[in-house]
Amino acid sequence: MEKVIFIKYGELSTKKDNINFFLKKLKENILFVLDDLDVQVTYDLGRMFIYTKNNFDEVLARLKNVFGIHEINVGVVIDSTDIEEVKKEVIMLLKEKEFKTFKVESKRTNKKLNTTSVELSKNLGAYILKNIANIKVDVHKPDIVVYVEYRLNNTLVYFDAIKGIGGYPVGTLGKGLLMLSGGIDSPVAGYLAMKRGVKIEAIYFESPPHTSIEAKNKVISLAKKLAKYNNELVLHIINFTEIQEEIYKNIPHDYLITIMRRMMYRISAIIASKRNAKILVNGESIGQVASQTLTSMNAIGEVVSMPVIRPLACFDKLDIIDLAKKIDTYETSILPFEDCCTIFVPKHPVINPLKEKCREYEKIIPYEEMIYHAIKNHEVIKIKAKEESNEFKDLL
Amino acid sequence: MIYLDYSATTPTGFEVLDTYNKTSKDFFGNPNSLHELGVKAKNLMNSATKQIAEILNVNEKEITYTGGATMSNNMALIGVAMHYHKKGKHIITSKLEHPSIYQICNYLETLGFEISYVNNDEDGLIDFDNLKELIRDDTILVSICAVNSELGIRQPLKMIRQIIKKENSQTIFHSDMTQAIGKVSISMHDVDLATFTAHKIYGPKGIGLLYKNSNVEISPILYGSGKNNLLNPGTPAVPLIVAFSKALRLATTDIEKRERFIERLNEKIVVALKKYNGVMINKTKYSIPHILNISLRNIKAETFLHALEEYEIYVSSNTACSSATLSSSVMAVYNDQVRASSTLRISLSHLTTTDEINKFIYYFDQIYCKLSGLHH
Repeated sequence: MEKVIFIKYGELSTKKDNINFFLKKLKENILFVLDDLDVQVTYDLGRMFIYTKNNFDEVLARLKNVFGIHEINVGVVIDSTDIEEVKKEVIMLLKEKEFKTFKVESKRTNKKLNTTSVELSKNLGAYILKNIANIKVDVHKPDIVVYVEYRLNNTLVYFDAIKGIGGYPVGTLGKGLLMLSGGIDSPVAGYLAMKRGVKIEAIYFESPPHTSIEAKNKVISLAKKLAKYNNELVLHIINFTEIQEEIYKNIPHDYLITIMRRMMYRISAIIASKRNAKILVNGESIGQVASQTLTSMNAIGEVVSMPVIRPLACFDKLDIIDLAKKIDTYETSILPFEDCCTIFVPKHPVINPLKEKCREYEKIIPYEEMIYHAIKNHEVIKIKAKEESNEFKDLL
Repeated sequence: MIYLDYSATTPTGFEVLDTYNKTSKDFFGNPNSLHELGVKAKNLMNSATKQIAEILNVNEKEITYTGGATMSNNMALIGVAMHYHKKGKHIITSKLEHPSIYQICNYLETLGFEISYVNNDEDGLIDFDNLKELIRDDTILVSICAVNSELGIRQPLKMIRQIIKKENSQTIFHSDMTQAIGKVSISMHDVDLATFTAHKIYGPKGIGLLYKNSNVEISPILYGSGKNNLLNPGTPAVPLIVAFSKALRLATTDIEKRERFIERLNEKIVVALKKYNGVMINKTKYSIPHILNISLRNIKAETFLHALEEYEIYVSSNTACSSATLSSSVMAVYNDQVRASSTLRISLSHLTTTDEINKFIYYFDQIYCKLSGLHH
């Protein structure tokens, strides 16, 4: 019997009409992360099957990062729906294992079987007890759980259930533009959006010489960490120096941040629509800083008409940090380089900015022209999850 | 030339030297600098470190570059002693260590630390019962080398770690892995601290590293500037680091294949030298094939060494740095003054050829006959 990896879809199974689109995408995403390994992927409406000869551990490790997978099992497919045959095969499998106690969990998608799942479990359990010596049933804390799924054309048997990462396959819900700053929050926000199936492109604002190449490299390495879930990630880099300096020179300093954020939102929305992204995503969290009060969000948000999704809006900072550590962006995020939100910080930013004031102040600077210029000259980097070839390869 | 002293040092690999040259020329920036040249050098250095971390299966932050094995040993032993002296002042080491370990221990003794030397059995294996007995509540450190430099005796670090941690979970375990890396497989999971150097694996001299598990703290013994290398501050030696990384990659591929080949060469020498009455083969079942130690009855090892040198054959006597004294490792294993007073170490590499070994055996015979004749 061939060892096979099965994937359970979980939440996906509620999608009725377009489930095939979801599954096609999931298969595509799985093949993308496994492309250098010798694997075959097939699927039906209930399960996806991954066949591999000798890469089990590696395949399992990589599948844990694929959204849309709710459970991973390693087991065997028995090409029979005959209960007696299944019993014999189960005994053969169990003889290779060491255990004192067990229980049977049955699932029956083949409703033609004229019995219930509970009956099937009892029946198989009794057979196991009869055929293997010195073992007992323990339904609470068994050494081993025998999972059997009686399907229409075949039967699945497995002993372990590994929790998948969940969510929807990336790309099944269209595209969003992530405002990636280099801080702790925005990568986590991007991760959560991807988890709900949103394919992400990212936008970063740099202000050389006020910000350094290291700050930019930091954002690139954060983008690389996110690209792992996204297949690849397009990063838009906007030179924000001129706009930022104009704002600093001409606008009352308590409104610096508010106006700066309005400019960033405007630019992001334009890039988003050019790239066919339907939403903006950012790492704002209610109340965290002056620009993230409700009044500020209101005053800043009015400049764009597309939805701004803030996955972290209601998260506590400590919870965000936990997530950042989990997705391995935290250590990079806390590297101490100035980014454009930390330079030109006023002593007392306005906490409740007035939209009218914003509009009035903005008239002082020719921002439309500057935005046009910044977008026209912006840099685009395609970031691959896997290191294609190290630029220093010949030296190392 | 027939070089049979690879455990003293190795010739730097062509590719490694090439890396050193290119890095010195094209990446001369100071990795601590903020400008582009500094960032370029830092990126290269980080890639080199990442490669080393992957090979050793550790986190990049657990790696500190040093000037070599002696410096790594100093940083490890003194660093632990300084950090934990309030917890205890007892340190255990073996009788099979590199002299640098003993020198550091002597120094620590002058500061009030107590050093115990664990016994070994007749095969050179650490005496587990004795180790158990020696570990106390105030034992802060055990330092035992992975492979002994004179006899090539390999210690089962995993078991030693289990014993140490069972007796006192707070005791830190350091291992000098200088003679193990590139020769046998090693695991950083077995130790808290480990010493490495590049020049034993066809890398340049002047660069080594200290592995420090992130759960272990030690005090720095050097102070200076530089945020990323707290234990060894100052400007990182980027060309040496990159060359080290390359050497490590090259040295850790095909370890098993190379070992099997070297095993055959070792056997060939053993078979040939066995027939001399005045030659004793100092080899136990734990000796790795890369290092072959013999004792000469009635012939001074140093004389033999110089006689071989006449034919451009290079080996070492006792250890390269301390000749004419008793070999402490041979003493520790065989407890035999005669045996320990005149030892030769023949150390082999995958670069050694069968032809070289044949020639060595031929000239060994010539010299042996001539020198042993003198004494009769």
